[in-house]
Amino acid sequence: MPCERKPMRYGHSEGHTEVCFDDSGKYIVTSGNDGDVRIWEGLDDDDPRFITVGEKVHSLALKNERLVTAGSSNTVQIHTFPDGEPDGILTRFTTNATHVAFNSSGSKVAAGSSDFLVKVVEVSDSSRQKTLRGHEAPVLSVTFDPKDHFLASASCDGSVVVWDIEEQTQVISWPLLQKTNDVTNATSLCRLAWQPAAAQFLAVPVGTSVHLYERDSWNHVSSLSDDLLTQPVNVVAWSPCGRFLAAGAVGGLMVVWDVSSKACVERQKHEKGFTVCCLAWHTSGRQLAYTDTEGRLGLLDGLATSSTTDSAKPAAAVTKPAAKDYDDLFDDDDDDGALMDEGLSDTRSPVKKTPAAAAAEQDDVDDEDFLMPSTGRIRNRGAILDDENSMDTGSLRLSQDRLLDDRDDGAAGPPAAPPPSAPLRPAYDGPLPTPPQKAFQPGSTPAHLTHRFMMWNSVGIVRSYDDEQDNAIDVEFHDTAVHHAMHLSNSLGHTVADVSQEAVLLACPATDELASKLHCLHFSSWDTNKEWMVDLPKDEDVKALCLGQGWAAVATSALMLRLFSVGGVQKEMFSLPGPVVCMAAHGEQLLIVYHRATGFNGDQALGVQLLRLGNRKRQLINGEPLPLSHKSYLSWLGFTAEGTPCYVDSDGVVRMLNRSLGNTWTPLCNTRDTCKSKSDHYWVVGIHENPQQLRCIPCKGSRYPPTLPRPAVAILPFKLPLCQTTTEKGQMEEQYWRSVLFHNHYNFLLSSGYEIDEDGQTQSQKEQKELLLKMFALSCKMDREFRCVELAEMMTHNVVTLAIRYASRSRRMALAERLNELAMEKASHLQEEEQKQQQEEEEEEPEYSRRRSGFSQSGGRDGGSRHTQEGDGEVVEEEEEEEEEEGEGEREEMNGHEEDAEECVEPRKRANPFAKDPVSPVKPSLTPIAKMGRSNPFKVQGSSSSSQPRMSNILDKMTSNRKSVPLSSSSGKPNKGPVLKPLAPRPKTKTQSTLLQMSGTKTASKKEKSADQQKQAEAPPPTSPADDTENKRPKTGFQLWLEENRKSITDEQPDMDETDVIKEAMGRFRTLSAEERLSWTERAKGQPGDAADLKKRKRAAEGGGAEEKGQAEGDGSSAKKKKAVDPSSKLAAFAFGKN
Amino acid sequence: MDPAEVEFLAEKETVKIIPNFSLDKVYLIGGDLGPFNPGLPVDVPVWLALNLKQRQKCRIVPPAWMDVDKLEEMRDLERKEDAFMPVPSPHYMELTKLLLNYASDNIPKADEIRTLVKDIWDTRVAKLRLSADSFITQAEAHAKLDNLTLMEINTIRSFFLDSLNCMYKLRSNMQPSGDSKGHFNDY
Repeated sequence: MPCERKPMRYGHSEGHTEVCFDDSGKYIVTSGNDGDVRIWEGLDDDDPRFITVGEKVHSLALKNERLVTAGSSNTVQIHTFPDGEPDGILTRFTTNATHVAFNSSGSKVAAGSSDFLVKVVEVSDSSRQKTLRGHEAPVLSVTFDPKDHFLASASCDGSVVVWDIEEQTQVISWPLLQKTNDVTNATSLCRLAWQPAAAQFLAVPVGTSVHLYERDSWNHVSSLSDDLLTQPVNVVAWSPCGRFLAAGAVGGLMVVWDVSSKACVERQKHEKGFTVCCLAWHTSGRQLAYTDTEGRLGLLDGLATSSTTDSAKPAAAVTKPAAKDYDDLFDDDDDDGALMDEGLSDTRSPVKKTPAAAAAEQDDVDDEDFLMPSTGRIRNRGAILDDENSMDTGSLRLSQDRLLDDRDDGAAGPPAAPPPSAPLRPAYDGPLPTPPQKAFQPGSTPAHLTHRFMMWNSVGIVRSYDDEQDNAIDVEFHDTAVHHAMHLSNSLGHTVADVSQEAVLLACPATDELASKLHCLHFSSWDTNKEWMVDLPKDEDVKALCLGQGWAAVATSALMLRLFSVGGVQKEMFSLPGPVVCMAAHGEQLLIVYHRATGFNGDQALGVQLLRLGNRKRQLINGEPLPLSHKSYLSWLGFTAEGTPCYVDSDGVVRMLNRSLGNTWTPLCNTRDTCKSKSDHYWVVGIHENPQQLRCIPCKGSRYPPTLPRPAVAILPFKLPLCQTTTEKGQMEEQYWRSVLFHNHYNFLLSSGYEIDEDGQTQSQKEQKELLLKMFALSCKMDREFRCVELAEMMTHNVVTLAIRYASRSRRMALAERLNELAMEKASHLQEEEQKQQQEEEEEEPEYSRRRSGFSQSGGRDGGSRHTQEGDGEVVEEEEEEEEEEGEGEREEMNGHEEDAEECVEPRKRANPFAKDPVSPVKPSLTPIAKMGRSNPFKVQGSSSSSQPRMSNILDKMTSNRKSVPLSSSSGKPNKGPVLKPLAPRPKTKTQSTLLQMSGTKTASKKEKSADQQKQAEAPPPTSPADDTENKRPKTGFQLWLEENRKSITDEQPDMDETDVIKEAMGRFRTLSAEERLSWTERAKGQPGDAADLKKRKRAAEGGGAEEKGQAEGDGSSAKKKKAVDPSSKLAAFAFGKN
Repeated sequence: MDPAEVEFLAEKETVKIIPNFSLDKVYLIGGDLGPFNPGLPVDVPVWLALNLKQRQKCRIVPPAWMDVDKLEEMRDLERKEDAFMPVPSPHYMELTKLLLNYASDNIPKADEIRTLVKDIWDTRVAKLRLSADSFITQAEAHAKLDNLTLMEINTIRSFFLDSLNCMYKLRSNMQPSGDSKGHFNDY
């Protein structure tokens, strides 16, 4: 029958606190640092009566309805009890009194003081007092001999003295204690206690044990000690019957001994480990009140010491401790875990084993049972788990307790209970279930800490303080532009929090009276109500919560997920497949991790759901298992800043979702690799993909950081755990795959319609290309041609051409041959895709296709996904191909040629009739410039050509192939489309021309670009199909229509200017039916564009001599082109020829 | 050179700050700074750190050596040895003064650090005076100034040079003028 340790409650403000029971045992009376004496009718009394005695109360004694207090004004006062009327001052000292005590009859009071004196005063007549002089330092404590003959006192001078009261002389003095100069510096308060009734023993706390001195002989008869007692005993108190002695120690341990058998009857630990500074027995002996130095009051109820049947006692005394040890052990374990996490394990961990050893002595069979769990890994882990997650007692403890309970039930209370696992173990020997980890908020520190982080994420920090002075929450934003810091009082006892750019979300668990509450500070709200609160249904507790963009999600203990808008509107809700572990949100995405099943052998069985909320609601990952390292648990869950789900397990492995590989999880790095010591950890707070950063807080000797001193964020690099990363090959492979992995988010962002950092994307694409070529070169060097081809398969088309050149230059003809095939394959593949695309496009409405190609233009130029390059890209490629061929023969002219192109840009722009077209101002013509970060809008073309040398340099370096410069310079243009168009140029150009007629002409940007490009080479020769395109292009269905209808428009509104007319015309043209429009476009196709031809010539004239030169070149190239049936093979041949 | 100038030089040292704003890279003549991400430590020169701190735009992370234990160790070593010990930073005094004046709320145990650094400084300056004294009394021609910081040299320079000059004048007046040239070279 273990005693019940009632939860502690606030008694007084922080500081030395004393407690006693009144004579009837009805009231608990406490005094504390706040100068009040409080009279509690029980531990649950929420409204105690109080008597204000002074500024501080150092000591308190109560007997015969007299309350004696040692106050701050150097006096010892009397009050009546329970009325609290002042009844005069008993005595005064020159400094404050430290301890007061009544004698057994209540007629005298002894008081010890810091002025070295002990006074004994008659309560009825304060003038009759005796002063005991002899201490050489402040008096720590005093106690009366129950027979009123002697008085014992302890002092800071290290002595414990027994006085004869009448004679006022020292009977004996023991130098037992450490010398100090003041009570506040004493290691122990050394509250002495004289055995009541028999008055046979004087108990003196000395160090970690209690000495018993016999009356009269003053011999040290015995010492009481306990293995768990590692810190000095502060206070001792005899039970009213005089058979038991309770001791309270620094560090919060309380022990009760049976003095006759010296056996430990009871062992309890203060729930927070604060120093116990006063103990008081209830008159019945069943309750023991205690107070600590933090002003808290506690009670041990149902102590086994009240029964006085002597015969049964010894047996019970043996069994009870045994049972108790279990509990103690578990309690301790919890505490140990907590302490361990706070980095104090070194002081506590040895202690942990001692109860096990003690228990083993008592019961041999218990032996294994105790040692196994207390040393076993699972057990320790459980304790840690607990601490990290728990608000209540640990899950592991529950399971262990259950085991114990089972045993108790089964055994039906035999006097000496058999050990639990001895009979149990043979029954089941298989894998043991793992206690499921508790729900937690990623980025929070354990809830049991008084100062802790409730949330640390990329937006801000939420800290909570829960000490006696202050129960508050601080919200602080990394970027003060988001919001200023907030300080909230935490009256509701919030335990979980999240913070986003829009709001702070807090939640508290349900209490007896109050339901679990969700509290949102919606600071970004534009109205005046910045706050809302929601009560959850009864018996439903908030377990985890998170904030997305415009919404909040709350997972509850009822396996429910509730969605709220950030303004407080209740939205969808659904049931979770298992108890939630944690959640994370980013934008529209919600990531939930829950317990899928029971794990075994230390593993957790977690499942993960990824949902997209917002407009296109759907589930992206539905309940797949979440891979964790063996015997580890989840320690962080979140999204990268770019929105890719990530998590970290307790082994420090960081994993990220790989969306391009069927939503698998790829380990990115292990944070423990960089830790110096085994007990160091990194506490992850955020992950960024671009730049690649793992933001975390290094924690020395613990798993999480303290709130003070304020921890600083460190940045770790990622390193994929690929094989052989020490070799050059391994390193490059690791870099390549890391780059690919961290590149995934661009596609995701694009597909979900977000803006992307295009610079970053091109950068990483370039990096990948470089790495592939480097790896290719390395494999070449190592004569691994098969591997080369494998690498080439991963390359894009234009990189393959570089690879071909490299191979041919290094005289690997077989390899080059194979690569050539590969290149053709790739090209045809590309083309198929394009054709498919174009077909689709042709089916579409002209306007739509125009818009689309306008989009694709920017996409293609900046290296968007492959299928976006079509139409104009096509033309460009065509051009480039030709340029390359030119480069073959007339490389020297290349530069001049390009300059021409640049020169021509501007006039062409102006001359372009479609620049005025109302559709042409569609911004896309400028977007690529903006995206490229160019300030000069006229450098559209220049930008692509001027970027050539840069690209070529890089690629050139990679291939270490000087001779290929001109070629690569043309191939390295930033439009990522392939440079070579090796297959069937004719049909393609045909489709292209139709495309251009339909759409290309209308988008100015597209037209400009293609026109500029084409102008360089193939302006005049009418035989070239591309040239046909060029001439025809300006004439579109709309134009034809406009020519016919302009008149009617101008007639209607004669005062319109040109642009307005075109706008109007545009609007009208749109109102035509699809068939009509189609017929117009058909007509436009059939009709050779005379007007355009004219304009073209005009432009050519403006272009001047340069244009003519271009024509000449164009002639040459077109002639060559006719021969080039398969440009790619031709290129290969050329490349071979180079050597 | 006056102390303000030395302090100015010290402001070039870098210190870690945790900004509470975000800003792209700043391109300055002295080098590029940033990018600044809220909550992420970044190295900046002291002058910028103090400026930002005064505008409440950042928290300063004290340098690693600005720690009570390390400074105590250094102080004890400095007291024990006769020679000058290496100092944690060539501008330790200036940095301590600047950071503690403007950012004492970001530095744990600021007062202790101030006292410790002052102790180290006092010990070193006392040593400097002592060695200057022996330099003159023993009429040495040169002295080694290992591990001395700019500020320390600066405190004694003007006085030392002036007094040497003065002594030189006095001596050359006492002695026949022919000798003076040789002496002059000594100093």
